[in-house]
Amino acid sequence: MRAFLGELFKTVRRPAVWVCVVGLFAVAVTIGYALPWLAETYSPPSAAQGLPQGTTLADFKIALYPINFVRQTLQQWSVLGGVFALILGVLLQGSEYGWGTVKTIYTQRDGRMVMLAGKVGALAVVVLLLVLGLFAVDAASSTGAALLDGKSLDYPDATQILKGIAAMFLIYGFWSLFGLVLATLFRQSAMAIGLGLAYALVVEGLIFGFGGGLLGDWVKKIQEWFPIANTGYLADSFGAITFRRLPAQPGPYADATHAVAVLAAYVVTFVLISALLLRRRDVTS
Amino acid sequence: MATGSEPIVSTRGLTKHYGNGIVAVDSLNLNVRRGEVYGFLGPNGAGKTTTLRMLVGLIKPTSGSAMVAGAAPGSPASLSRVGAIIEAPAFYPYLSGYDNLRLIAIFCGVPVKRVDVALEEVELMPRKQHRFSTYSLGMKQRLGIAAALIKEPDILILDEPTNGLDPQGMVDVRKLIIDLGKGERTVLVSSHLLGEVEQMCTRIGVIQKGRFVAEGTIDELRGAATLTVRAEPAAAAASVLNGEVGPENVKLLQDGSYSVKVDLKRTAEINRRLVQAGADVTELRATERSLEDVFMELTGTEAGL
Repeated sequence: MRAFLGELFKTVRRPAVWVCVVGLFAVAVTIGYALPWLAETYSPPSAAQGLPQGTTLADFKIALYPINFVRQTLQQWSVLGGVFALILGVLLQGSEYGWGTVKTIYTQRDGRMVMLAGKVGALAVVVLLLVLGLFAVDAASSTGAALLDGKSLDYPDATQILKGIAAMFLIYGFWSLFGLVLATLFRQSAMAIGLGLAYALVVEGLIFGFGGGLLGDWVKKIQEWFPIANTGYLADSFGAITFRRLPAQPGPYADATHAVAVLAAYVVTFVLISALLLRRRDVTS
Repeated sequence: MATGSEPIVSTRGLTKHYGNGIVAVDSLNLNVRRGEVYGFLGPNGAGKTTTLRMLVGLIKPTSGSAMVAGAAPGSPASLSRVGAIIEAPAFYPYLSGYDNLRLIAIFCGVPVKRVDVALEEVELMPRKQHRFSTYSLGMKQRLGIAAALIKEPDILILDEPTNGLDPQGMVDVRKLIIDLGKGERTVLVSSHLLGEVEQMCTRIGVIQKGRFVAEGTIDELRGAATLTVRAEPAAAAASVLNGEVGPENVKLLQDGSYSVKVDLKRTAEINRRLVQAGADVTELRATERSLEDVFMELTGTEAGL
């Protein structure tokens, strides 16, 4: 408990943590709602080229209304928002090496495993606040979009909202612990953020995008054990948003149970690897 | 100062090898007694910091064992009784000095009111609400000592605490350490500065290339004072000196004088015998070896002198 309270004490007082959290909220409002709403409201008719006959960009605005805010949040931010969670994980662990405070915290009272548990607990609190804030921001933005368009304020039921929050917590839990394990492995922040971003934005997408096109369906059998694919399965398990006159999108390749199990396995594995590294390594910085 | 014979730090054959074949610490047997200010002296790279890191559990020894404050190094039982600064004190730059110590108090499970007491002790109260990143090197060092004091430890382990400080900062920190060493508290302080150790410490251990080369009080390490004698004719003088203290205690120096190991209370008597033997005594003085001489003899370096 001492370790958890101490980690929380320094985490909530760190400006960089809140820059990260507020940064995601700002991006969610602007890129998630404001820019699409403006584009779909004020685009000229020529912008609808390539869409089925009678479909306009305004038909896509249904994604911006409250009834879809849980799906929208999950499908839009499971990876891009995950990058912010990754940075949080890196910041909490990598900075300890950068500042040399790793030797300070390991020479107080509790052992390294207890200190790691405290850090993971504090990270979980911040990630939960990030997820709750993101859902609140998206709910408010979707309400604003509906009010501006004079649409009804129908929200998903409470169960779906809670499930959505739980799913995003698991997804961001994965990302933040991915950041933490990378920072532990490299004993610094820069390398961890660089490699984490490369994986999030390039590596998995490139491997399976390229391989899937060339090698066929069996690549999907392998992909279903990779983390970003599973964040997608979990987000998609909340159902696709259906647009007027557009064909329904196929369901996810694997179901939510599979996705939760795989992501939970990654979370546990990352914690165990971090524990092993911290336990075995000498602190020489 | 109440120093007991019971060791608060003891190591047996403590050894640390690194993968690249470097032996940082080699079979170290260290004994620090309760209540003493123990100076851990050695040139740069001798293995002082590695040893201290092992004593607080940051580094695992390759072999050997150690007990610190009655428990294994790095265990909660040991850490709860040890306050340490290893190399430069490290804190969170975005937190104030006060909040950094509050954090340490939370980690240690001690009441937050201890924070002000510790800040008072190191005279940092006026700057306590300022961010750590704005502190001078000396203030950072004092905050480090305050952090080490928060849990009211039985032993303070300080690794080169005056490193990088300006002369006034060095004086302040040394004075602080001398004050902290008064009473029951044990202080283990490493340094490569002889003068510093001489001012602060009651006992000294000297380490060189990872091995212990000497241990004792400053007087023990210096050894007995000698008498320097110059007299003519030299043969008559040598005969008298050999007869008085034995040839094994008389050494002819390069400048023609003699170095004589003898109780200095016998100086007048030696002088009388030389005169009675017909020797003209031109020089007769007590010579005390400095700690610098001892250090250089033991380590073969001039580091830190």
